[in-house]
Amino acid sequence: MRKHYRYIAVAVAAASIIGLTACSGGGSGDGDGPATITLLTADPQKNLQPAIDGFEKANPDITVEYEYVPFDQYNNLIEQRIGSQDPGVDVYAVDSGAVGALASKGYLVDLTDDFADKVSKGSLPATSEANTFDGKLWSVPMWTSMQYLYYNKDLLDAAGIPYPSQNLDEAPTYQQLLEDGKKAQAAGATWGLLFDQINRYYQLQPIMESAGGGSGVTGDDLLTADINNTGWVDAMDWYSKLFADGVAPRGVATEQLPVLFSTGQAAYIVSGPWQATTNAAEGKVNYGIAANPVWENGTPAMSTGSWNLGINPATDNLEASKKLVDYLGLTKDGNSLAASVLGIAPTFSESFDDFVGGLDDRDAPNTAGMGALTSDELNNIAVNRPNSPGFTQMADVTGRAFEDIRNGQDVKGTLDKAQDELQGLWDRLK
Amino acid sequence: MTTATRVNREAGHQPASRRRRRGGGIWKVALLFLAPTVILLFVLRVIPTIGAVIESFQRSASRLAPPRFVGFDNYVDLFSDGDFAKVLGVTGLFIVIIIPFQVAIAVLLAVLLNERFPGLGVVRVFIFVPVAAPAAVATVIWGVAFQPQGPINAVLEAVGLPGQPFLTSPDQALLSIIILMSWIGIGYWTLFLVAGLQDIPIELYEAASIDGAGWWRCFFSITLPNLRRTLSFVIVANTVASLIAFVPIAILTKGGPADSTRLIMFDTYNNTFVLGDVNLGQAEVTILLIALIAITALQFRLLGKEKS
Repeated sequence: MRKHYRYIAVAVAAASIIGLTACSGGGSGDGDGPATITLLTADPQKNLQPAIDGFEKANPDITVEYEYVPFDQYNNLIEQRIGSQDPGVDVYAVDSGAVGALASKGYLVDLTDDFADKVSKGSLPATSEANTFDGKLWSVPMWTSMQYLYYNKDLLDAAGIPYPSQNLDEAPTYQQLLEDGKKAQAAGATWGLLFDQINRYYQLQPIMESAGGGSGVTGDDLLTADINNTGWVDAMDWYSKLFADGVAPRGVATEQLPVLFSTGQAAYIVSGPWQATTNAAEGKVNYGIAANPVWENGTPAMSTGSWNLGINPATDNLEASKKLVDYLGLTKDGNSLAASVLGIAPTFSESFDDFVGGLDDRDAPNTAGMGALTSDELNNIAVNRPNSPGFTQMADVTGRAFEDIRNGQDVKGTLDKAQDELQGLWDRLK
Repeated sequence: MTTATRVNREAGHQPASRRRRRGGGIWKVALLFLAPTVILLFVLRVIPTIGAVIESFQRSASRLAPPRFVGFDNYVDLFSDGDFAKVLGVTGLFIVIIIPFQVAIAVLLAVLLNERFPGLGVVRVFIFVPVAAPAAVATVIWGVAFQPQGPINAVLEAVGLPGQPFLTSPDQALLSIIILMSWIGIGYWTLFLVAGLQDIPIELYEAASIDGAGWWRCFFSITLPNLRRTLSFVIVANTVASLIAFVPIAILTKGGPADSTRLIMFDTYNNTFVLGDVNLGQAEVTILLIALIAITALQFRLLGKEKS
């Protein structure tokens, strides 16, 4: 019997040693010693590599491991890893609109004391609001976005269509673009009008907002659905025609659409600044940039917001994680480097000013006037995604409804069903 | 007297206490060998199953929040929601079509491959190659083929037929998924059936031939009855695999269009990991588990009755 006890004692000791070893694996990130931290994002590593190199140079005791998960699986993975208190993730990218949902679940460290003041003073004004939920700052802005109407000059010339304006007061209407898209197709374009993220809430929210339908979220707790009102139905009727008339394709994955424009197959695409990077890489299209479209007699509206940085509450490297978040989001060098490869807008004001100053030359002469247009749009027509604790459910339900409408389902029936489903899911959160 | 008989008789004369000791020793050894498997089964299967059932009676705001007991509320939410009824309907339709389709084709192919004819090797390669392709890769390839501007429609239009919407139509999406999964699955099930056919004694066919039985008579009176054990395995395993089908839905349709491909496994995954509602997901897991046990038991019972 004594022999058995000895075995058990040895086993317990071995398990303790293994446990201690595992605990010490991440380094002493809470102090000043060396640490290894993991950054999880939905972007390929090359997009943030210059910024990581810059951070490691400025903080030689901290090494950054990078993990990339494609966007379609990203939120699911966050749910699994952060929800299971996995300390293998220290810092992770937080999508605008998801801040409230993640904070209410306890998936983010409260960063108010560390960064709220710095964000409100140093970052673009709208980004502070987008990262705040319940009066606290839960993530630090890194990138923001804006949308433009890119047009193929050669295809428009062939159809005899005038180039759309960069003046917000003369922005093209969605209705006119549908007709012009058909004309361009008749003159040789394969596709008339595309959207970068053709079935996602981020991309389509401005159409409903512009048509008077609002964001689809109401109520003090932002958990009352309103996605089948007249504005939403009108906007989705237009969206349905886009595919029914063959102006945009069904069955083509979102990721493939920017390439259809950059290879000269589409007359128009509504997309972010990254489209200019894709166009420049292909070097095949003679294009111009105009103001984001507006609903006929409607309110101008444009999608904004992008990825922010949050810290996993289960991290063993809190101080090192804060240093990384600070560098990537709240320093001029770090924030500029973080946005440099993708060509997206950085949110630290000084970095943003440099970004806007260089936009006209990004893919000259195609990108002429892009800088002034960016400032105009961000200052006047930008709309954030609603910071609802139920945004995850909203993105899922509306995404499926958009795809169904794209595939030809009845608009009103689809929105009514989505309204009931979303409200049912939100009622479980109350 | 053979050595084995002698040993057995000698063993029969051993004192009872000694036999018991030896018997106990054998049990201990058996337990020792079985222990790793039993422990792993218990840790990886039984405990998570019990956990799923318990969690299906709870609700929490998130995985980090403490759960509270809510009785059958999650089940009530599921069954009072028309969408879940549709999920069950779609899953049922999927099973009713895909199982007979795959099994019938697999039996025909197995019988064909059991014959000798020129080009047999090439036919075998065509049937078995899809089995080796990873499901995700096959799904992506079929996804491109099914695009409205994809190669299948190009061929259809080249021969004067209208292009089809495939995965973008609620009327065709489930059928397209069944074709995709059958392309992978039929070859796999055929492998088992070929092995089953090769176990049937050739003398039975020779005797039937002498008695004047034709090919069809041999098929129904010799082949199918002797293939029953293999067939029962194929049907049960295929039912289980189809009920937990996930990859093509997750990659290609996300349950759409209009929920026409929203199978229960995808719905469970979506509720649990996309929407973060673990308790609702666990209620679905429990329902799926009960359905699997019931269907499998019924199939074994029916096949057992046929045998008797």
